[in-house]
Amino acid sequence: MTGSAPALKPAPHITSPWRNLRQGVLHVFLGFMAIVALFPFVWMVFASFKPFKELVQSKALLPINWTTENYTEILTRVNFEVAVANSIYSAVTVTVITLLTSSALGFIFAKYRFWGKEYLFILLLSTMMVPFAVVLVPLYITIGDLNLVNKLWGFIITGLWSTFGVFLMRQFMEVIPYEYLDAARIDGASEWRIFFTIIIPLSTSPMAALGIFAFLANWDSFLWPLVVLNTPDKQTLPLLLAGLRSIYWARYDMWSAGSVMTTVPIILVYAFASKYFIRGMALTGIKG
Amino acid sequence: MTTARLASGSRRGPAWDWVRIRRVLRKSQFHFGVAVIVPTLIWYFVFMFHPIFQAFRIAMVDYKILDPQNSPFIGLGNYQKLLLNPLFLVSIKNTFTWTLYIFLFMLPISMLVATTLSNVRRLRNLYQAVIFIPVVVSLVAVSLLFRMVMDPEVGQLNRMLDFLGIPPFKWMSSSRSALAAISGIAVWKSMGFYIVLLTAGMLNISEEVIDASRVDGANEWQRFWRVTMPLLSHTIILVVVLLTVGSLQEFTLPYVMTEGGPGTATYLYNLLIYEEAFTHIRFGTATVAALFQFVFILIASLIQIRVLRPNWSY
Repeated sequence: MTGSAPALKPAPHITSPWRNLRQGVLHVFLGFMAIVALFPFVWMVFASFKPFKELVQSKALLPINWTTENYTEILTRVNFEVAVANSIYSAVTVTVITLLTSSALGFIFAKYRFWGKEYLFILLLSTMMVPFAVVLVPLYITIGDLNLVNKLWGFIITGLWSTFGVFLMRQFMEVIPYEYLDAARIDGASEWRIFFTIIIPLSTSPMAALGIFAFLANWDSFLWPLVVLNTPDKQTLPLLLAGLRSIYWARYDMWSAGSVMTTVPIILVYAFASKYFIRGMALTGIKG
Repeated sequence: MTTARLASGSRRGPAWDWVRIRRVLRKSQFHFGVAVIVPTLIWYFVFMFHPIFQAFRIAMVDYKILDPQNSPFIGLGNYQKLLLNPLFLVSIKNTFTWTLYIFLFMLPISMLVATTLSNVRRLRNLYQAVIFIPVVVSLVAVSLLFRMVMDPEVGQLNRMLDFLGIPPFKWMSSSRSALAAISGIAVWKSMGFYIVLLTAGMLNISEEVIDASRVDGANEWQRFWRVTMPLLSHTIILVVVLLTVGSLQEFTLPYVMTEGGPGTATYLYNLLIYEEAFTHIRFGTATVAALFQFVFILIASLIQIRVLRPNWSY
């Protein structure tokens, strides 16, 4: 565990040749795991630039005849732009509203006192134990009653509150000192103002984590949109991709082009903000 | 703390109570609270509590889509129908096998990588970031990717095996290897998440405890089993429960990769629920199946937490 305490002076044995060899072995293993994690994407990116014949025949990683045909074909033949727009619209809406609802409820559960608060909190938390499959059918019926079947909002509306998000935000807001709030109240600030100018700025770190978590969960959501959204003009990206299996049976050139356009933007964003992504995902575990 | 004082009871009689209530009603806190709590309660009622209660009702009726009000009550009839469905036992067996595979692949790999990461001195964050990439990308895209890579004829995986002189393997097109192959993909997709959890847990173990064991002459192996593992037990409980709950509910991978096939080799429990509900339009049996899953997951997690909970503290 030498790396965890940079402040400590390295003990003499750490710099010994034996230690260096050991570190080398660790690097070889981690390098191998990194390649295992990364290689399929690299292959996919190059495959998407190969003509179909070459893709199924050649053994080389790099394309011999570079082509962008796959991309033009997938963009013209299926409603790719529509699916991208649907996915972005629903993921952004869900993320923004989830952040607002989670932080407002986190604030109330952390800093307010009212009768039945803990009971209410436990009641909300208890919904996390119920597997999604239990509400799959009843929720579909509810969405039908609300006339939202095959509408993007039928997918969005079920994600506007996040029990996990409330839990996460409460955990963080517990440590905000009451003095800040009282000082603002004495100065005559309304609770809305306190929420937007004190609570939210003090909670940007858990909110960034929750935002990334909510965005990815929604972007990747499959079962529920599969049930609610049926027509191509309402499809989200995962549904469109899954549909490529039957529209373009074993057309691996199409598949790789579609997959590249779905994954590469996320990977690029990740490359610049990986710290927040990892923290966001790790928070789900450490605090949960 | 104004809110605290307002919430505590008064000893000055009902008239004072009324004054207090009126004062609360004028408070900004009250308006804010109502504006947040009321929509929350409505949403939770419509999209959580009501559906959960409905599930118990739907489980006991022969649900008629076109005329739901007149769905006849059939009591345990849906339970009977589900138990008579031959796919019920098949999907349970597959789901248990699937969960077992996930555990067998995931725990050793993620423990090994996490131990390595917590011991490496340089580039730890870079390695972690790269290993984490599969976690953030779309699962459906990953499914398509591996259907290409694992294609028995043209896939890269068999090309590589061929290069190493190993005969080609059928991966997902053989019912004997399909479930294991897909569980391998599931492990590849989410190992980064568990590695991050375990690494964070390992780096949290205080340096003093490790040093103490070093002074006491423990070797690396002893230190791992006698110091690291026990001190990691909270993280391990979390990993085990999350893995179990997730594996028992797996849907997307088998649905996109094989649609339960070849035959019924990868027909997992959630595929059964989905097909009962939206292919055969049997809402009652689908919901009964989901309730079974609910009870099972609840009991399984409680047992795991009880068994794995450390009986010490420091």
